[in-house]
Amino acid sequence: MKKTWLVGVLVVIMIGVVAAGLALVYFLPLDLRERSPLQPIDFSHKLHAGTNAIPCLFCHRSATRSPVAGIPAVADCRACHQFISPDAPEIRKLMGYWDRREPIPWVRGHALPDFVYFPHMMHIRAKLACSTCHGEVAAMERVTRTASLKMGWCLGCHRQHKASIDCWTCHI
Amino acid sequence: MEKITSPYKWGMVIDLDRCTGCGACVVACQAENNVAICAKKEINEGRNMHWLRIERFWVGEYPDVRGRFLPVLCQHCHDAPCEPVCPVYASYHNPDGLNGQVYNRCVGTRYCGNNCPYAVRVFNFYDHEHAWPKPLDNQLSPDITVRSRGVMEKCTFCIQRIRRAKEEAKGEGRLIRDGEVQPACAQTCPSEALVFGNMADPASRAARLARSPRRFRLLEHLGTHPSVYYLKGGGREHV
Ligand code: HEC
Ligand code: HEC
Ligand code: HEC
Ligand code: HEC
Ligand code: HEC
Repeated sequence: MKKTWLVGVLVVIMIGVVAAGLALVYFLPLDLRERSPLQPIDFSHKLHAGTNAIPCLFCHRSATRSPVAGIPAVADCRACHQFISPDAPEIRKLMGYWDRREPIPWVRGHALPDFVYFPHMMHIRAKLACSTCHGEVAAMERVTRTASLKMGWCLGCHRQHKASIDCWTCHI
Repeated sequence: MEKITSPYKWGMVIDLDRCTGCGACVVACQAENNVAICAKKEINEGRNMHWLRIERFWVGEYPDVRGRFLPVLCQHCHDAPCEPVCPVYASYHNPDGLNGQVYNRCVGTRYCGNNCPYAVRVFNFYDHEHAWPKPLDNQLSPDITVRSRGVMEKCTFCIQRIRRAKEEAKGEGRLIRDGEVQPACAQTCPSEALVFGNMADPASRAARLARSPRRFRLLEHLGTHPSVYYLKGGGREHV
């Protein structure tokens, strides 16, 4: 008699623990994706966009007219670095890619799944600053993702700006 | 809750007197929308993937037999039978009058496909990573999702093209012009049998054609109120 009572309590506790665990996973803003991946070249936004005040759109030039902001080609880096500190070790590495005719294998820190469509140009046209979503990149040595890039994050801002929240805006 | 309204109600008119059954629309659709190309085994099992198919009918008695063709795609019904049966709201109605399918929401119950009287929803019974052997994977469109196994998919009226046209129009502060956006099937049709347009604009070419006395809609008696109109007849049945 006493034993069955004990088993019942144990079962209830176990169910409670599992439910609490699931609730934790559901409600916590768990974001386990890499925020600041190591890059093949030690490229510094602080040095380029901060100290030397190169505009974001000089390098990410398709942001105003295309869904992707784009990463500059090796030829664009070379255009400056043929003349600017050509003997620094990181620049030698950069020129190595040029000589081998290889693209630089940059690692993405901001990546949405395949089923999400995100157009940069619509957001730039809506006069949103890059820092709204990317943080103060001009002060970062290595880019660190500041936003979760979750659906709730998109929808929160879309509701606020009366932008479309129809599923087929983002999921096509 | 504020009601979401839209100046667009997309629709299509298909002139059966112009359709020659050439199948260009079927190929264009397959190429545009990353629709998987199925192996013989899957087709034998009736698990072929098509968003648009051409039904063929024989009419008349030998030796006076003629082929009749009927392109069937998602009818984007205003009272769609597929929508209320989805337990997770993956099949839903979009403010532009389109019948949407959110692939990442879909859990693959297949209720929608079974409830569709036009049989235009197709299910990914298999992982189709081998549907595009190298270098065919280079033809995949980056604008739309590559659907995975266990997901229902269907004609979207090439939503990626509508999105792009909307974005362009918004940038110029205007509405989409008539004829500016076309799904792949309408664009490729050599006899212009398929005409796509905004039915909310009474002056659009599609809306004008849809007022033709030759019009009818598929299985109209079911009360699904499709957005696709067919034209046929007008004394030319014998041609
Ligand atoms: C508009 C010109 C310009 C472009 C384009 C440019 N840089 Fe630079 N880069 C600079 C300047 C200016 C410095 C600072 C040099 C200094 O202070 O010694 C610099 C410094 C660097 C350094 C540090 C060099 C050192 O002294 O160690 C690296 C690495 C670098 N850039 C990589 C890149 C890469 C990779 C690209 C292409 C994505 C690129 N840069 C594109 C102007 C440019
Ligand atoms: C000199 C060219 C250059 C300039 C100027 C520049 N960027 Fe970049 N940016 C790059 C390169 C190269 C990368 C890829 C390497 C990396 O992630 O550090 C990159 C990466 C990024 C990324 C991360 C992408 C990812 O997937 O994680 C963001 C965000 C970004 N830039 C935003 C900005 C913003 C905002 C500015 C203006 C404040 C700016 N960039 C100015 C060259 C530049
Ligand atoms: C509304 C938020 C938002 C704004 C504003 C924004 N971005 Fe982004 N950015 C994103 C998201 C989300 C991604 C991930 C896109 C993806 O994975 O498809 C991204 C990705 C990027 C990337 C990685 C490469 C790419 O194109 O996917 C770069 C570089 C970038 N942004 C630069 C910029 C610059 C420069 C600006 C300002 C001119 C800017 N972004 C403004 C949200 C934003
Ligand atoms: C900081 C605010 C903000 C965030 C965050 C944001 N958006 Fe937007 N989004 C906007 C605004 C503002 C517009 C412009 C609406 C307009 O032009 O009518 C817009 C427009 C869009 C459009 C085009 C809508 C249309 O009607 O053509 C898409 C698609 C979109 N956003 C997707 C996303 C996705 C996906 C994310 C998340 C990864 C996201 N947005 C995050 C503010 C935001
Ligand atoms: C403003 C853009 C936007 C809109 C509108 C939107 N979503 Fe999302 N959705 C996203 C983004 C971004 C993600 C990716 C989140 C992540 O990577 O964690 C996502 C993820 C999802 C997922 C999770 C998929 C998975 O496998 O992780 C589902 C389900 C989903 N969305 C359904 C919907 C439905 C249903 C609607 C319409 C009611 C909708 N979404 C509208 C941006 C949007």
